[in-house]
Amino acid sequence: MIEFVHAGKTYPNGVQGLKDVNLTIEQGEFVAIIGLSGAGKSTLIRTINRMIDATAGKVLVDGVDVMSLHGKALRRFRRHIGMIFQSFNLVTRSTVIKNVLTSMVPDMSFFRVLFGIFSRQQEMAALAALDKVGILDKAYTRCDQLSGGQQQRVALARTLNQNPSIILADEPVAALDPVTANQVMSDFRRINQEMNITILINIHHVDLALDFADRVIGIRAGEIVYDGPVGSVTQEVLDSIYNGAPVPKVADEQTAKAAAEIAALKASLNTSAKEAQG
Amino acid sequence: MARKAKTAQAKLALFDRIFKPKTMTVGEHTVLKPRSRTWLILLTLIVAVWGAVIVTDFDFGIIIRRGYQFTVILKKIFNPDWSYFHKVLPPLLDTIKMSVMGSFIGCTLALPFAVLASANINHNGVFVAVLRVLLNIVRTLPTLVIASICALIFKLGTFAGTVAITLFTFGLVTKMLYESIETIDMGAFEAMEALGATRFQAFWSGCFPQILPTYLSHSLYSFEINIRAASILGYVGAGGLGILINERIGWRDYEGLGMVLITLFAVVLIIDNTSQYLRRKLS
Ligand SMILES: Nc1ncnc2c1ncn2[C@@H]1O[C@H](COP(=O)(O)OP(=O)(O)OP(=O)(O)O)[C@@H](O)[C@H]1O
Ligand SMILES: [Mg+2]
Repeated sequence: MIEFVHAGKTYPNGVQGLKDVNLTIEQGEFVAIIGLSGAGKSTLIRTINRMIDATAGKVLVDGVDVMSLHGKALRRFRRHIGMIFQSFNLVTRSTVIKNVLTSMVPDMSFFRVLFGIFSRQQEMAALAALDKVGILDKAYTRCDQLSGGQQQRVALARTLNQNPSIILADEPVAALDPVTANQVMSDFRRINQEMNITILINIHHVDLALDFADRVIGIRAGEIVYDGPVGSVTQEVLDSIYNGAPVPKVADEQTAKAAAEIAALKASLNTSAKEAQG
Repeated sequence: MARKAKTAQAKLALFDRIFKPKTMTVGEHTVLKPRSRTWLILLTLIVAVWGAVIVTDFDFGIIIRRGYQFTVILKKIFNPDWSYFHKVLPPLLDTIKMSVMGSFIGCTLALPFAVLASANINHNGVFVAVLRVLLNIVRTLPTLVIASICALIFKLGTFAGTVAITLFTFGLVTKMLYESIETIDMGAFEAMEALGATRFQAFWSGCFPQILPTYLSHSLYSFEINIRAASILGYVGAGGLGILINERIGWRDYEGLGMVLITLFAVVLIIDNTSQYLRRKLS
């Protein structure tokens, strides 16, 4: 469970990234955070794993005040939280599997890290993580030879290999084309459903947010202006999140095609989810 | 942004205020074309060269009067005394040994110090600044000076030379390396920190693979330089070919000198080409 209690962030230059945020996110929720550029989306999710320090109020993860964590305790805490970035943040010169294996580094001895010695067990776990996101066949390829969508999947596998209970994703599909973006979003959805991992996603594609998430948090100038289930997000809500500026409706051919694919994906997901349950 | 643009304009102003830019007209629109500065640059250059000639007492006369000596010496050098080769071999090996050992130790030491001196990895600004000043001092000392100091401390011989080369390599490679480290993509480092790695772990797993080819390339380059540097260290008694070169010149034995130089030339050529080939493979 993630809780924000009157949490705030004032940057050293005086900019208020977050203002009096109160939130409770239960384990296993899939939350999309939307808002204009500069609204504070990145600030919000980065205060959770302390990549940014909150300056007011409290941020609690499973009852632990994250601001009380330092050094070793902070690093151990971060082991349970995966993070996905817009620019993938992979070691592009290394192979896919080496990237996935880096998530094991914090638990390893100095000499194993120095010489990059991983156990067979670790290698098998990394391969399993790659298999989960469907790119096992690329395991021994160099990352810079992969497409953006594939690289984001490697990043996802790296995060899964860490066995996180929470995944924070900062605009994970912003650099991807609509079709690939859909595939990556459905990867998130599947992981969320199958492994009960809490997922927080910052996203600029409102349609994707509405299609895949359970809950939407709208943020404007550092304040939460909407928080509710996807179902009750109306055009008015969106307008108010985006500063009263009406959200333009894009209806070109590509989005139509993407929408059709989402529908297909969702249908297959629903059936597989039902199968898993039944 | 607006302020930045203004200062840029102000910078141009002095020249452009004296020599007004030309107005180019295209239909109804105009744009200002600044006057060419080439003549100003040329003028400055001529004045500087003229100044240098005066300050250094450069005498064209002596070149004309004594210049033929060049050809006399060159003729002898190009007519090397081949029988002298067996004498060249041991100090040549010393020279190579000094530069191999010096380059190796220097480059190894350079890695941790370069990491500590990189502002993007080490956020302790004071530490970085102090370290860089120290590194600058190391780099300012000419190799020959370091070698003569080492020769005083460690007695004459190849050990002093090795230490001198080590220090020189260390200064050079550390600087080149931290400059490379500061330009790398920090994404992987950020990801590593987010998943609970220490700074060392994040650097080693996230950044080192990125700089490894650069590091190897810098190391090979320093080795290329060192083989040349090592060959003159003997002048100050630090072992290697320099001793021989110094001695041959002293005895006016230019045929022997020719043999030394030709051997050195061949070795440098081989090492340069091999190293350049390897560096091309790396990039
Ligand atoms: N390191 C920083 N120092 C000062 N101000 C910052 C810093 N990082 C962010 N800000 C400011 O805080 C506010 C929120 O930034 P944040 O990065 O959280 O926005 P965002 O919603 O993620 O935007 P985007 O969609 O463009 O990623 C912005 O006004 C930004 O300028
Ligand atoms: Mg952001």
